[in-house]
Amino acid sequence: MRFAFTQDQLDFAEAVSDLLAKECDPAAVRVAWENDTGRVPGLWSRLVEMGVVGLLAPEGVGGLGMGEIDLVRIVYEAGRAALPEPLSTIAGVVVPAVRDHANTADAERFLSDVCAGTSTIALGLAANPLVVGAAGAAMFVLEADDGLHLVDPDVVEITPEQSVDGSRRVSRVNWNPSSATLMCGPSGAAEALDRAATFTAAELCGLADTMLTLTTGYVAERKQFGVPIGSFQAIKHHCANAMLAVEFAKPLVWRAAYSLTQRDPDASLHASMAKAAASDAADVVGRIAMQCHGGIGYTVEYDLHLYLKRAWSLISQDGSAASHRRRVADRVLG
Amino acid sequence: MNIVVCVKQIPDPADPGALDPESKTLKRDGKLILDESDSYGVEMALQLVGDSGEVTLVSMAPNGEVSGLRTALAMGAAKAVLVSDDALKGSDALTTAKVLAAAIGKAGEYDLVLAATESSDGYTGVVPEQIAAVLGLPSVTFAKAVSVDGGTVKVDRQTEAGYDEVTCPLPAVVSVTAGVVEPRYPSFKGIMAAKSKPVDQLALADLGIEAANAGWAGAGQEIVEVAAAAQREAGEIIEDDGEAHAKIVDFLSNLKVI
Repeated sequence: MRFAFTQDQLDFAEAVSDLLAKECDPAAVRVAWENDTGRVPGLWSRLVEMGVVGLLAPEGVGGLGMGEIDLVRIVYEAGRAALPEPLSTIAGVVVPAVRDHANTADAERFLSDVCAGTSTIALGLAANPLVVGAAGAAMFVLEADDGLHLVDPDVVEITPEQSVDGSRRVSRVNWNPSSATLMCGPSGAAEALDRAATFTAAELCGLADTMLTLTTGYVAERKQFGVPIGSFQAIKHHCANAMLAVEFAKPLVWRAAYSLTQRDPDASLHASMAKAAASDAADVVGRIAMQCHGGIGYTVEYDLHLYLKRAWSLISQDGSAASHRRRVADRVLG
Repeated sequence: MNIVVCVKQIPDPADPGALDPESKTLKRDGKLILDESDSYGVEMALQLVGDSGEVTLVSMAPNGEVSGLRTALAMGAAKAVLVSDDALKGSDALTTAKVLAAAIGKAGEYDLVLAATESSDGYTGVVPEQIAAVLGLPSVTFAKAVSVDGGTVKVDRQTEAGYDEVTCPLPAVVSVTAGVVEPRYPSFKGIMAAKSKPVDQLALADLGIEAANAGWAGAGQEIVEVAAAAQREAGEIIEDDGEAHAKIVDFLSNLKVI
């Protein structure tokens, strides 16, 4: 058995990495911090044209009919760039949920629009009190006690809230579940959370990698006592610990995506292992990055700030490390 | 309409380049990528042919390198001709032009040859015109807009003052400037399709060019020495004793800027 990504998967990730290097640099992320939408103008349509958004959608509606394992490296690249677009939720969670559970007509209509880039669908899981990108969404996939609902924006009440991350437009969404909007039961909602946790974990690994790259670049340049501070053992150990955390989290994330693709009965366990490890990794890398930068990442003008704030937002999204560790314990210990 | 685009595969500019101390040339043994300046020619060609023709890539690269070609194929080019031969190491601009011209002859029927103005790693800036001379075709340089009307190509040719409107009969060789169009990003479908598109790999012998006339042996130039660029000298610091402005005026007068 070969435990590695295929050449196609690596080529897709490289293509997205090239796109984001040009179109989603820190200056572009800052634009998203300051504009009304919290997004980079024109970037979503480029991702749509490339085929990223519809990767998991059936070919009949304009998608590519691929699996979570094909998407996970791409979402990791999105994390590396702190992409302020709803890629992991739409491509990774909403598309497969609608594909698998909406009635045929709804699935065809909404997925065609999503694959063509003409509309977006916002996601509200019970694990998250706030919904990202609610304003302007053509539909909502919202979780209630009885499962996932496909809800028209006309019947939801949106109250904007403030996020720690300037490029995330979050809202509280009030609505009343009804049997007419029910798309699938609790098992479908649990599956959506597994996907959300896995792809958020992939984003966190990307963010952690970028924070570490910024840090190693900084400590190789910043001099004290006539030498780069990176030559001091205390700094070296910090950087090594940061790298260990993120490199140990990555295989769990790739495994979780593989398990989702294979419909492994333990996919939920693997998703929790991935999210717990990636949240912890991003937390520790963020702390180390800030310390090794001598606190300079505290200022919004310094790029580290953008990645740090996104990491803080995602660490608690789709279940905290503690909640996922509890899920792992429940599953393993019974 | 069919268009041939000359593309160069170069070391990734994001990685610091290194010179081979023996040959005194750029190390090109790692993965090579499509020169960004060539992506404009590829995009221009794709837009010009639309659905009624083919874009063929022509490239010369060491070690049978195709990574950059695959990128251009993923953008939408139909096929590629690659010339790769150890005997080409050290080739000068004219040899490169002769090789590319011979490879263009293997690319099938064509109406137009596009190239970038210059490569991002060599910067000789003469290869497109040399190709035109070798092929006996008219050449238009520095195109900032290109359109084809029947048997002629119309080019807005960038000049210092603005641009000239130039027309010339096809087939012709046109070099396009960076920024002339916005190159598309390869789609996933394009990336997958590119893997099965034909890349015709040729050696010097296939082109009828003698090894003695190529590479170091055929080059009309020799790299004698490579030296690090001199460090910038420290500027002159003037203590202002009330007359500093006069010294600044003198300094600027000497530069003939005032």
